[in-house]
Amino acid sequence: MAVHRVLVIGGGPAGLEAARGVADMGLAVLLVEKTGELGGTPYAHYATLTPHLKDARDLMQDMLEGVAHHPQIEVRYHTEVVASRGEAGAFTVTLQNQEGQSQEEEVGAVIVATGFQHFDPGRETQLYGYYEFEDVITLVDAEHMMKSGRIVRPSNGQPPERVAFIQCVGSRDRQIGNRWCSKVCCGIASKQAIEIKKMLPEAKVFIFYIDMRMYGFWEDQLYWKAQEEHKVNYIRGIVTEILKKGDKLLMKGEDTTMGRPVEVLMDLVILSVGMEPSQGTLNMAKVFHLPRESHGFLATQGEPLDTVTTPVAGVFVAGAAAGPKDIEDSVSMGGAAAVKAVSLLRRLEKSLA
Amino acid sequence: MLSSLYPEVPLEEKQRLFDLVKADPRFEDYLYGCYECGICVAACPSARFYDFSPRKIAQALAREDIELVYEQMNDDIWNCSQCFSCVRCPRKNNPGGLITIMREVAVNNGLKTTKEALAGYTRIIYKIMTTGTQVSPDMLQEDAFPDWGPQVKEVATHLDLWRRALPPETLHTTGLSWQVEERTMLELYTIWKLTGVLDMIRELDEGLHDIMEEVMDDALEDQGFAID
Repeated sequence: MAVHRVLVIGGGPAGLEAARGVADMGLAVLLVEKTGELGGTPYAHYATLTPHLKDARDLMQDMLEGVAHHPQIEVRYHTEVVASRGEAGAFTVTLQNQEGQSQEEEVGAVIVATGFQHFDPGRETQLYGYYEFEDVITLVDAEHMMKSGRIVRPSNGQPPERVAFIQCVGSRDRQIGNRWCSKVCCGIASKQAIEIKKMLPEAKVFIFYIDMRMYGFWEDQLYWKAQEEHKVNYIRGIVTEILKKGDKLLMKGEDTTMGRPVEVLMDLVILSVGMEPSQGTLNMAKVFHLPRESHGFLATQGEPLDTVTTPVAGVFVAGAAAGPKDIEDSVSMGGAAAVKAVSLLRRLEKSLA
Repeated sequence: MLSSLYPEVPLEEKQRLFDLVKADPRFEDYLYGCYECGICVAACPSARFYDFSPRKIAQALAREDIELVYEQMNDDIWNCSQCFSCVRCPRKNNPGGLITIMREVAVNNGLKTTKEALAGYTRIIYKIMTTGTQVSPDMLQEDAFPDWGPQVKEVATHLDLWRRALPPETLHTTGLSWQVEERTMLELYTIWKLTGVLDMIRELDEGLHDIMEEVMDDALEDQGFAID
């Protein structure tokens, strides 16, 4: 007899939507979250979300509370999955809490929603000096600052007059080994550029890019808006090196559409770091013997029509554990994974009856 | 972003001219944002013959690159034939229109390079502004148009006869392309004066301005008009 309970691993947008979906269809959910709060990366690290620049916490609050208080959902915080045995319909998983205490649980299906981690700019092969220069920061560092409603140069606490974003840091780069586009960084950089211009209207803001990849409505919601309304300067060309000059940063690159080299001084440089599979995602690949696709994310089968079914029966994936995803994608996958997991258990029940 | 080609011109002056361009009421309809896609350059006939790019005009203005805009106002804008083939931009920019504005600012502010660029057109300006026709038959001289062949000389020698051989009487002219009604001419003079076009010429060539102003004022006065 199939166990009518679904394990959801990870409490970000994908895991939350998966848990809510399964529970709303009447099955029990065991939601395991490594940290002490739900909401995942956007909730923990982002001040506002694309495309409407609304406060991330306000935006996600209903979703979080809906899951936290759902009678069908049990949430385990500070907990990780460390082992699994069994098969579709009857998995026995071992959970471990912060104190190292283990506990076994029975579940019928698993939805892995362990997400991504931001690329570590110390690994880039250009010379951006993230760990060398205080005023070279990442998109995530900028979001942390924006949570306090301001943006300053970390070196002196003063508002910057000239800010540059560098796109594709850790993405689309064979040297680094990450061949993929991380999908959301163009939108997030444009969002932050708008926010910086709103906070500091006199500041000059530049975005150095290879291609602007603003699919769908982000085109005019973020890109046109930044460029036309907020006079953000988009310059095609990737910066090769950042040097310190006085208390400023000297950026070297090429303005490729103007056909000339560029050496300009900046007060603040923001690296648009991409997505990689998170440590949790890599761990779940081992625990559940999930094959990873050629980029290292969790493989799905049946692309493009099935985005959530892994080659391991009874295990589904949702969100950025399967590759770079925006929040819309992640939530959609969460819903799809919920349907697939529940229908699998219903099928098993019928075949065993 | 790189060093200026015109270091002797203070940045404040370059900024002032840029601000004049940007303050033009047409500006915001002519420039949104630039994809740097090059569709305007692909369509531009001048770009095939000169080191000229309507894309760079839009880009420099959008980026508020004061130095580059100043360089363009001293050079690139005179390579445009104002054909507006560039008006097919996916962002609805109008590089040719931006050049129109930049030219007007360049003329109104008497840029040295503008005077040089337009020096060869003094005769054309005089002709079109005083007669309403741009090229007149008596401008067809053998030395000016050698590529038109030996018959130019024959035509030039007996120009009046050749012109009177044309059936429409309005073409029996040598100093005008065709006979222009006096009323039309007076309207034209009124337009040049009221719209400030005549004033623009003053910055460019004061002598030419004074000659044309006298022609216009005399004609208007003869008919009892006074325009101030």
